[in-house]
Amino acid sequence: MNDVSPIYWEVIDIVSGLISGTMLGGYYAILSIGLAITFGVMRLVNLAHGDWLVVGAYLAVVILQIVPISPFLNLVVLVPIMFALGYFIQRLLLNRVSAQSMEERGISPTFALMSPILVTFGLSIVISHLLLAIFDTNARNIQNALSFSSIRIGEDIFIPTLRLIFFAITVALLIALHLFLKYSHMGRAIRAASDDASIATLMGMRTHQIYAFASGLSVAVAGIAGVMVAMSRTFQPFDGTQFLLIAFGVVILGGMGSVVGSLVGGIVLGITQTLAGTYFGPSAQLVAGYMLILLVLAVRPQGLFSR
Amino acid sequence: MSISAPDASAASPLLEISHLSAYYGEVAALHDVNLEIMPGEVLSIIGANGAGKSTLLKAVVGMMNRGRAAHIRGEIDFRGRRLDRMTTVDIVDAGVTMVPEGRRLFPRLTVEDNLLAGAFLPRARGRLRERLDEVYALFPRLADRREQLASQMSGGEQQMVAIGRALMSGPSLILFDELSLGLAPAIVDDIYRRVSQIIEGGVTCVIIEQDMKRALAVATKVCVMLEGRIVLRGTPDDLTEAQVTAAYFGTEIGAH
Repeated sequence: MNDVSPIYWEVIDIVSGLISGTMLGGYYAILSIGLAITFGVMRLVNLAHGDWLVVGAYLAVVILQIVPISPFLNLVVLVPIMFALGYFIQRLLLNRVSAQSMEERGISPTFALMSPILVTFGLSIVISHLLLAIFDTNARNIQNALSFSSIRIGEDIFIPTLRLIFFAITVALLIALHLFLKYSHMGRAIRAASDDASIATLMGMRTHQIYAFASGLSVAVAGIAGVMVAMSRTFQPFDGTQFLLIAFGVVILGGMGSVVGSLVGGIVLGITQTLAGTYFGPSAQLVAGYMLILLVLAVRPQGLFSR
Repeated sequence: MSISAPDASAASPLLEISHLSAYYGEVAALHDVNLEIMPGEVLSIIGANGAGKSTLLKAVVGMMNRGRAAHIRGEIDFRGRRLDRMTTVDIVDAGVTMVPEGRRLFPRLTVEDNLLAGAFLPRARGRLRERLDEVYALFPRLADRREQLASQMSGGEQQMVAIGRALMSGPSLILFDELSLGLAPAIVDDIYRRVSQIIEGGVTCVIIEQDMKRALAVATKVCVMLEGRIVLRGTPDDLTEAQVTAAYFGTEIGAH
């Protein structure tokens, strides 16, 4: 390949950067969808979001120890369990400390707004310490045959197979979520309650149930993301915070609470980091990501793609 | 065209409010209100800002049961059921709904999604298509704009969506809070024509209306409220406009 011009390699660099950035973006998106759902529907900043991901990752490990099936098949068991966890945490805990219920108990509006955030912060600590008590600090992961395989496009571009599968799952999940929110009674009720909760009750919608359902959805998606985390890297009980930070970045970029915005925000962040890594070295990746987030917050605080 | 079947039980009141008081925190907004509405009646409530009209409607649909923030005392009976002990969702399921002040549509939902949201109750879902067709027949303008976002509609169109949305649950009693507030007169005429059709369909209505002439024209019964009390009541034929005006401004309190 001595006769190939340097420009060819420049193009290959950019194209592979864009492709792997997009793949990384899909992964970032699925890490963030749960956060976008709870914020969009309940205006709840869920600081325990990252910890739910880690719970999903550990749960996947446990399920695989009991029934050794494919990591993808174990979603059939994992998703309902995670949905139930999210549903009941909302019903039994978070609904009781929502801004609305705090005000009904005569607590000042300022503190009423703070209380759900503080409670999710506490929840985050409880979840990570429970994981530590049950498991240990040893890093875990789910080994699988796909980890080292990749698909080749043309002569010199490679896509890791696992990333491609994750990307496809994320896109499929986003389409399913979009259709669910747009056309089902429950989806419409979730959107209505997020627009105006008190009028939603006038339509016969039990907002506490709707919030619990949305929370179940959020944690279920976090569980799926957790399985992807477990398949692509190692993890420990206290890893939740780093996922939370990524999710915040993506949600800020994509527009608060927009599900489709999560994918766009994820891809923008993914491509920025990958290209920064290609041209300025690995240490530039995180810096570039956070500079982009700061820039968007300064210029377009409503997010790049929100209406 | 029928939006809902007429009520069979013509003898007993559809809604009976006795000794109703309402409080925002410690502040009383209603004092010992007593009111009866017979099936098929149209009650107009007239009163200045802060007279307690909206609070009365909110109390009926359970939106004043908010713990320490707001609560009520007294009884509200609807077909033998105690609304004062029920949640808003159960009250709407029992057949009472409200068209709130300022329309309060779901702004990021389309017109059709707003209407469909009104049919969320399992009871209403069975007749969803039929009711949607009825609403579009009542407000043909909405049928052309079903895919438009509610927030992009004009005030009059938003009021049509709000009324249509309320009809989707198949109510036998609709409470209209400030039906014509902020709308152009020609549009108000149109809205009242549609409301008359709804009334002819057998739905009992309570209407809060600032425009005294319209309030008296549409009603079979009129109440004037002042400082949380009903200070004048009667049929539009019994009451003179001068009497209503005097009660409205409190220059002749207690003219029952």
